[in-house]
Amino acid sequence: MDELIKELKELEELVLQCMKCGTCQAHCPLYQKDLLESTVARGKISLIESVYEGRLENATKILKHLDYCILCGRCKENCPSGVKTDEIFLKAKAVLRKIEKLPSWGKAILKIVMEKPELLAKIAPLMHIGMKFGAKRVKNDIFKPILGSFSKRNVKQIAKKPFSKTHGGFHKAQNEKMEVYFYPGCAANFIFPEWGEGIISVLNHFGVSVYVPEVNKCCGIPAATLGELETYKKMVNENLDDINKRDCEYVITCCPTCQYALSEMGPKVTEKSPNKHFYDILMFLDEVLNVKFDVNLDEKFSLHTPCHYLSPKKANLKKHLEENIQGDFVVLENQSCCGFGGTFNMKKYDDSKAVGMSKAEEVKSKNVKKIFTPCPGCAMQLTDAIVEVGSQATVEHPIVYYAKELKNNAF
Amino acid sequence: MLNNALIKKFESILGKNNCFTEPEDTMCYSYDAFSAEPVQPDIVVKPQNEEQIKYIINICKDENIPIVTRGAGTNLSGGTVPVKKGCVLLTTCLNKILEINENDMYAVVEAGVVTANLANAAIKKGLFYPPDPGSVNISTIGGNVAENAGGLRGLKYGVTKDYLMGVDFYDMDGNYVKGGGKTVKLVTGLNLPGLMISSEGLLGIMTKFVLKLIPKPKFSKSMLVIYDDVIKACETVSEIIAAKILPATLELLDSFTIKTVEEATKIGLPTNADALLLIELDGHEAQVLEDFEAVKDICIKLGGNIKVAETAQERDKLWEARRKALSSLARLKPTLILEDATVVRSKIPEMMKAINDIKNKYNLVIGTFGHAGDGNLHPTILTDKRDKEEMVRVEKAIDEIFAKALELDGTLSGEHGVGFAKAKYLEMEVGSGTIEYMKKLKKGVDPQNLLNPHKMGL
Repeated sequence: MDELIKELKELEELVLQCMKCGTCQAHCPLYQKDLLESTVARGKISLIESVYEGRLENATKILKHLDYCILCGRCKENCPSGVKTDEIFLKAKAVLRKIEKLPSWGKAILKIVMEKPELLAKIAPLMHIGMKFGAKRVKNDIFKPILGSFSKRNVKQIAKKPFSKTHGGFHKAQNEKMEVYFYPGCAANFIFPEWGEGIISVLNHFGVSVYVPEVNKCCGIPAATLGELETYKKMVNENLDDINKRDCEYVITCCPTCQYALSEMGPKVTEKSPNKHFYDILMFLDEVLNVKFDVNLDEKFSLHTPCHYLSPKKANLKKHLEENIQGDFVVLENQSCCGFGGTFNMKKYDDSKAVGMSKAEEVKSKNVKKIFTPCPGCAMQLTDAIVEVGSQATVEHPIVYYAKELKNNAF
Repeated sequence: MLNNALIKKFESILGKNNCFTEPEDTMCYSYDAFSAEPVQPDIVVKPQNEEQIKYIINICKDENIPIVTRGAGTNLSGGTVPVKKGCVLLTTCLNKILEINENDMYAVVEAGVVTANLANAAIKKGLFYPPDPGSVNISTIGGNVAENAGGLRGLKYGVTKDYLMGVDFYDMDGNYVKGGGKTVKLVTGLNLPGLMISSEGLLGIMTKFVLKLIPKPKFSKSMLVIYDDVIKACETVSEIIAAKILPATLELLDSFTIKTVEEATKIGLPTNADALLLIELDGHEAQVLEDFEAVKDICIKLGGNIKVAETAQERDKLWEARRKALSSLARLKPTLILEDATVVRSKIPEMMKAINDIKNKYNLVIGTFGHAGDGNLHPTILTDKRDKEEMVRVEKAIDEIFAKALELDGTLSGEHGVGFAKAKYLEMEVGSGTIEYMKKLKKGVDPQNLLNPHKMGL
């Protein structure tokens, strides 16, 4: 225990930055729901402080509060004192995980997801079939599993084959002007392969060759959020090694959380940095390729901004949509996090869903028919909530529409 | 310490999910935004309605348990730290705006309503709720009333007390008390809203308020004025007021704060300036424009270099300098002590000079900004609470800052309250007779001294 307290004490310089002003309350999606101090960053930080200052004896008890966090990062983004809440929570969880181990089933799942990507890719077709027979179709490719705790969810069909299996390798563009490394991430790999396909076709169209890793290695963030920081470091290292050895200037992502894990948080915990610029596909189209689209929609659409979208780029996302997609754009009043949080959705489904539902209610009440978001986690969460409230809206990535537009114009 | 039987009593009223006694839960209510040693309550309760509050009071009275009522916990004077332990009662679930009456221009709200939510709801109806404490997006109306919160618009629009028309609360016998009401004129009985404002939870548990709303100003104009000499900036404040002009906002930043804000934000502030004034006038367009010209003349006469905001974007940029003052300072050192010394407006130059002398005398880092228009300055001490020797100097500096404020016909607190942070200074300001009267009043309504004991030294 003394060792653990010593390790938590190492966070003191970060913890002391918190002046306990409580600003985080206004931005924490879970606080808005629970109205409890233990939910919000100020409370969690003071718990860590209480342990290493000897005011709280049973250190393991605070893990449940640290775990009750979507890790959306809104507290960090809006903290007047610049407290690095994400760094504090991930490191504190890793310390506490030493005395409260993950259950063996949790470790087994992590091991498969993190360390056996080939095995995961082989299981995917079985899961695709399993979904057909073990779930009820509620809408196009949205299913409600019949059994177990998953039966509350409305989930998108799993791909017949992972994107990295079908599209792994080099996709050379005609009139090649540059090459990029496309990191699809697990969700696009297994759930939204059409996003990856859209990215390849759009980039190829503009003379950008695309390299897709043949085996998609998880970015490691699920391990980090469960307190398994060593596994996270391992995954970041493996991915950055792979990325760094490719001879190109940019890494393209379609998952803000993967980008955060590999290019922002990753270097802080591994001390290894990528030698390339990371870009979300939409900002890459805007800022590097400087291209515009003219997609016309005849239905109300809106935008959900993912929490992990790099803060300075968040405002640009709305601008991007306004400049590239014409139609009735509705700005939602609810600009909250969707509530997904990856492993948080697995551990605390009801709490996670409750956060997303409030946004879905607004989507329904305003008769919005399409929500654009450039994050697969948000897309899964919003899809679930939107189906649940009985809205007819669908959740999409703009890239799919850009690819369609280019294809239509080609004929 | 509570026993199991007692905990069960609370749980039978509130349900298990709304009672917290585990140390890792109660620890989260051992502090507020004032930098002080935390004190852990024995139990935290989260009532869902007023009826439950009545029962909580009854248990606490029978069992002699102190009660601290807490909204968002943004106090800057330790007002919600449960220094005698006991029960922390959260008002966060009483968060409904019950009525916004456009014709009679008032709102009825529960104690846990976040201030910004009321302000936004009023604006949607063309009305205005002016009090805007720095914590406007977090703090609750209950907390605002308990601490008589102010903000950037205090000069023209006043503070929370100027908008409190009615208050409902429970006394320590669990009786429901209704003070004030919805009419503009009301002189029936004792002025209970006047008694409850600034009472910091010492006289009853407030649950509901009637608040005055006013028409939303139709036009506004902002400017930033840069000075080579902070004293000239302070004199400008006095001259504007002497010219019978009341800006909505008249804010001051000293040179250290300017440099810090610029380093943090890169918004293009002049880092060689000795002071900045942010001035905003609002109201009828013709009047605003006339006053604006007069203010400009005064600023120029006193050596000010003026930047006028011509668009909403430019206005936002000017405001950023003021809004980022506290946060920029907060990043410099681990411990930030935000003080609240307030003087009559004509004494601001003297107070600014005194703060500078005290800073030098004790070799401390102090940035000063604040609501110069209403004399409310926030000397902000940057330190590290682990440095015990420096903390002794900080304490002495604070003593001298308050002594000077009182010497200049000022007060210990313009908007942050007394709490326990300033309890030891209270007698300096109000005298022993007044303290005795406060004690009698407190004893009369709370003979067991259970409502937020020890605050204001009572």
